[in-house]
Amino acid sequence: MGLFADKYPDVPYEEKSRLWEQVKADPRFPTYLYGCYECGICVAACPSARFYDFSPRKIAQAAAREDIELIFEQMNDDVWNCSQCFSCNRCPRQNSPGGIITVLREVSVKNGLKSAKQALEGYSRIIYKIMGTGTQVSPDMLQPDAFPDWGPQVRAVSADLDVWRRALPPETLHTTSTGWQVDDKTIIELYLIWHHTGVMDMIAEVDEGLHMILNDVMEEKLEEAGYEA
Amino acid sequence: MTADTTLIIGGGPAGLEAARLIGDLGQKAILVEKRDALGGIPIAEHYAALTHGFRSAEEAMNELIAAARANPTVDIRLSTEVVECSGAAGDFRVKLAKAGNGAGETLSVGSIIVATGFQHFDPGRETQMYGYYEYDDVITLADAEKMLKENKFVTPSKGTPPERVCFIQCVGSRDRQIGNEYCSKVCCGISSKQAIEVRQQVPGAKVFIFYIDMRMYGYWENEIYWPAQEKYHVQYVKGIITEIIRKGDRLLVRGEDTTMGRPMEVPMDVVVLAVGMEPSKGTKDVAKILGLQQNKYNFIEVPHGLDPTATSAPGIFVAGAAAGPKDLDDTMSMAGAAAMKAAALVAKKARAVA
Repeated sequence: MGLFADKYPDVPYEEKSRLWEQVKADPRFPTYLYGCYECGICVAACPSARFYDFSPRKIAQAAAREDIELIFEQMNDDVWNCSQCFSCNRCPRQNSPGGIITVLREVSVKNGLKSAKQALEGYSRIIYKIMGTGTQVSPDMLQPDAFPDWGPQVRAVSADLDVWRRALPPETLHTTSTGWQVDDKTIIELYLIWHHTGVMDMIAEVDEGLHMILNDVMEEKLEEAGYEA
Repeated sequence: MTADTTLIIGGGPAGLEAARLIGDLGQKAILVEKRDALGGIPIAEHYAALTHGFRSAEEAMNELIAAARANPTVDIRLSTEVVECSGAAGDFRVKLAKAGNGAGETLSVGSIIVATGFQHFDPGRETQMYGYYEYDDVITLADAEKMLKENKFVTPSKGTPPERVCFIQCVGSRDRQIGNEYCSKVCCGISSKQAIEVRQQVPGAKVFIFYIDMRMYGYWENEIYWPAQEKYHVQYVKGIITEIIRKGDRLLVRGEDTTMGRPMEVPMDVVVLAVGMEPSKGTKDVAKILGLQQNKYNFIEVPHGLDPTATSAPGIFVAGAAAGPKDLDDTMSMAGAAAMKAAALVAKKARAVA
């Protein structure tokens, strides 16, 4: 048991412990955490800590102490407040609180934790775009209603989006549904990466619907290219 | 004995080292020790390993004892105390007495080295509620040393290996209420060293150290503190325990985890109080007999900044923890400096006479 009252007493200790073992088993983990002075350099450097009740120090501390209940609490309540900028890497003990958070996030996604689902909910459209097309924000996503702060000219621009895009010198930017033209070879390589590195499995854990749609999109292209999905 | 001799009071590490060096210089030394054995606190209190280097304390002390004894010009008197002193630098007259036996012997010495050391703070005087004399499983660093030396670190009330052990730092140090406002300097290192030994001897035990500041100066940092945390997974928590209570057949420690900003209430099997240093009874007695100034805490005053071995009385030098909390490395260095100064005084006097 840890030092404090357990915030999630309904989740069995064995389950919390199982997740923590997965974190520790990550090959990156030993170089992300040595020992913590609790000096707060990482917090002072952390942009997220300015805006949220979030402390990379507490993440490193809980991990160094192997306080399993507290780590579980952080996996649920804290790790998604990190912007993964790694400003915290200036640690005098050479810890990487951001790196620990990377691993904590991956474990919570792989295990379909409720907090991971919630945190990623708002990103399903972006994930779909990146994983499906290899580009992030596409011109046709910039709907005037979605960005009222961009002012009235957005409406005018979005009305003739196709024309505006074709006015851009590089031909690869003459697109509206993707950020730029992505050739088929790149797309196939990307899809293979998503599959082989376990990203598709992670998506399956947090968003079943998104996983299904992505799978359909990828299946067709992969089959055309001669791969079995 | 004549004024060509240096009197050394105390047969611990500082006294033994000073005696050896004076002997090595070919001068005469007489070393008096109140106890019936040499080696000082490390031997009397059954220390396990030295904090610097983890070497067996007994082995290291035996080496010092052998070196002092092997010197033909070093005269060692056990169970002997200094009871009177008069005269001045270069020409003191001191009266020695056998413990429990009034018969005295008066001799002339040229210089004196006080190496009467410290004693562990008695946790009966602490102002928190730790219950050292109430709970069997609340022990001191010295109690822990003894168990670690025997390679048998157990929960005293049960005789079985503990699952959870914690150290509470600064017991009897840095405390205005107790009157010991100073830092005892070595307890952070010793607790960390013991925490490593506990983890080595009882690998299944979780070990915590509750502290105010960890004072792991110099190489103690990477040689003790970092391995304790990184290799032995000792958990350092900034926050001092205010109270120990009994819960079932275990202890419950209460405090605040200050960096996490949360109160804690944690069960423990063994609680080790990191007791600090106070002047030994011998230090206080000898200061009076020799007429030495003592500081606010009754350690021997060292009024000359650039000579940390010089006392308020010319010709009387101090070495080791009699002058205040000190680790063994500093004690040995100080013993060397005191021996040099005492021997120089005697040599100078001899030249003046010749």
